[in-house]
Amino acid sequence: MSNWMKKAAGLAVGVVLGTAAQAQAECGKVSITEMNWASSQIITEVSKFLMEQGYGCTVEKVPSATTTAVASLAENGEPDIVTELWLNSTGDVYAKLEAEGKVTRLADVFSPGGVEGWWVPAYLAEEHPELKTIQGVLAHPDWVGGRFNNCPDGWGCRIVNDNLIKALKMEDAGIEIFNHGSGETLATSIAAAYENKEPWFGYYWGPTAVLGKYPMVKVSLGPVDMDIHKANQNKDNPNPGVSDFPPAPVLTVATTDFAQREPEIAELMSKVSFDVDLLSNLLAWKQDNGASAEEAAVHFITTQSDVWSQWVNDAARDKLSAFIK
Amino acid sequence: MATYDFVFDGLGLRAWCDAGGGGGAPMSMAELLAQKSGGGGQISAWDTPFPSLDALNKACAQIPQSRDLTKGVEQGFLSIKDALRVVLDPLTQPLSWLLEGSLSAFTATPWWLMFLIVAVVVFLTTKSLRLVGFVIVSLAILAFIDHYEYAMQTLAIIFVSAFLCVLFGVPIGILMSRNDRLQKTMIPILDMLQTLPPFVYLIPLIFLFSVTEPKLYGIAIILYAIVPVIRLTDLGIRLVDKEVIEAAESFGMTDRQKLFGVQIPLALPNIMAGVNQTIMMSLAMVVIASLVSAPGLGVLVLRGIRNLELGVGLVAGFGIVLLAIILDRVTKAGLERVNAAQKH
Repeated sequence: MSNWMKKAAGLAVGVVLGTAAQAQAECGKVSITEMNWASSQIITEVSKFLMEQGYGCTVEKVPSATTTAVASLAENGEPDIVTELWLNSTGDVYAKLEAEGKVTRLADVFSPGGVEGWWVPAYLAEEHPELKTIQGVLAHPDWVGGRFNNCPDGWGCRIVNDNLIKALKMEDAGIEIFNHGSGETLATSIAAAYENKEPWFGYYWGPTAVLGKYPMVKVSLGPVDMDIHKANQNKDNPNPGVSDFPPAPVLTVATTDFAQREPEIAELMSKVSFDVDLLSNLLAWKQDNGASAEEAAVHFITTQSDVWSQWVNDAARDKLSAFIK
Repeated sequence: MATYDFVFDGLGLRAWCDAGGGGGAPMSMAELLAQKSGGGGQISAWDTPFPSLDALNKACAQIPQSRDLTKGVEQGFLSIKDALRVVLDPLTQPLSWLLEGSLSAFTATPWWLMFLIVAVVVFLTTKSLRLVGFVIVSLAILAFIDHYEYAMQTLAIIFVSAFLCVLFGVPIGILMSRNDRLQKTMIPILDMLQTLPPFVYLIPLIFLFSVTEPKLYGIAIILYAIVPVIRLTDLGIRLVDKEVIEAAESFGMTDRQKLFGVQIPLALPNIMAGVNQTIMMSLAMVVIASLVSAPGLGVLVLRGIRNLELGVGLVAGFGIVLLAIILDRVTKAGLERVNAAQKH
């Protein structure tokens, strides 16, 4: 049967059985973002599976990116659910939306949170253990190739990094700042450095396939000071200070309308939270097997049913019982 | 079971297939859902999958999957990477030096000196004071809104790329016009360069050279922008009148005299049109080049897109348009002078 024939048949069956499946009829269409990076795609696929199979929703994936998702929330009140929203790259727009009551925070999608920081490859840290702190890097810039790989213009981390660079006087210490043009070249520079076992030093974040695949060691910038970190997020910070990156808040949010319309789904999504290590391993598995995000989601669903079966309510757990092992 | 089992069973290859161990392919969502509804059952004739690598792999684990193909390509590239690098890295190094030199020269020159140089160059190529005025006013507008440095970085990159395009493109075009076989092999290559999305050849380039090297975006721009100057040089020389060539031959001109004394001068309007197009196309690559870390107005456009800073993006876009108009008008005016000179 072709796809539309299946749909038509499904519709007919649905109409006949509609009254019987009262709970199922309650969940209508749900739109959920699918960001343009791997971890978000896996989270979206898993959520889609749970909503469709457990709650009988019709889920539509909306390909998007952080800024476009927030802008769409602000202007159109769509999509219904946004997952893996990195709060530090949304600027004031999100804070304003939340204050206006247009969106509701459902969950921290990572526990304990996203990891941000400055890194060196593990082989480099093994050779020169001093490189594990920023003082060591500043004292021996040639060990890291004399170059700092900075974020592209327009990223939230770029502003923080630029302030840290000023505060640490990195350029005076003989470290050239290289501003990447896109996340792709930033990631490839790590991969290329690993291929040739060359020095590398720069910013990256996780959970990502890159941090899952290439062992990196975080360069400690000292203690975390929230006030300094907050001030560093301002482009025109008059006196930038030094603070390490705190765990980044990464959220699942829904429009307030949706949370009221579909309380069951909102409850489900407020429980969908991935352990960072688990997700990193999943991303590494995906890379090693050349799998798609969908296949990685299936891998998670089949191997980690004890994790996700805690997220769904009793009725849904019944429907999903065939998948729980 | 899988649709194409019968093929392998029929050929008596079942034992060979199963010797490969479990398929090991990651399960897809469709398969997972099929499991729930009771093992999938029969697939109707309507839904028969194309006998692709993946479909055959389901029936016989020895058949590689499509992802093994892409993995193989990747492995192949990575294994020849080092050898390629030894050859290509020194060969393209001058491009990095040129770009670095030109970037620092354009940005280090004080603005008033730059305006003067630009005015003189524009006057020499166009002999039109009106155009000189227009160019200076445009640059002044860009400087007034503090986009001067970005504009100069963009100009510096275009200057080097367009210069190299002409340096290599014109000789290639001449060779093509004199050799039909070369033309036949070159035309598909040129077509490919113009249609291939730049990121497709940027990915291997990133692995080949360090991403911090300016030559990365230099190569991307040149590969894309060199096409029109090659095409139009070839076309221009081929369009020179047969009778003129015969006349030149009757004067006893050698091939070299014919080329430099007759064909190139007569083809000059076409070649200049190619140069104009090449410059415009290198400008078109500015934003894409910024994705691989090229400085200039493209960075601002990208920032505008990423942060939805509409104003930043629009103003930088306007700056690029202004540069395009300047470059187009100046080269077109130069082209018209060439045309006018030939009428005499």
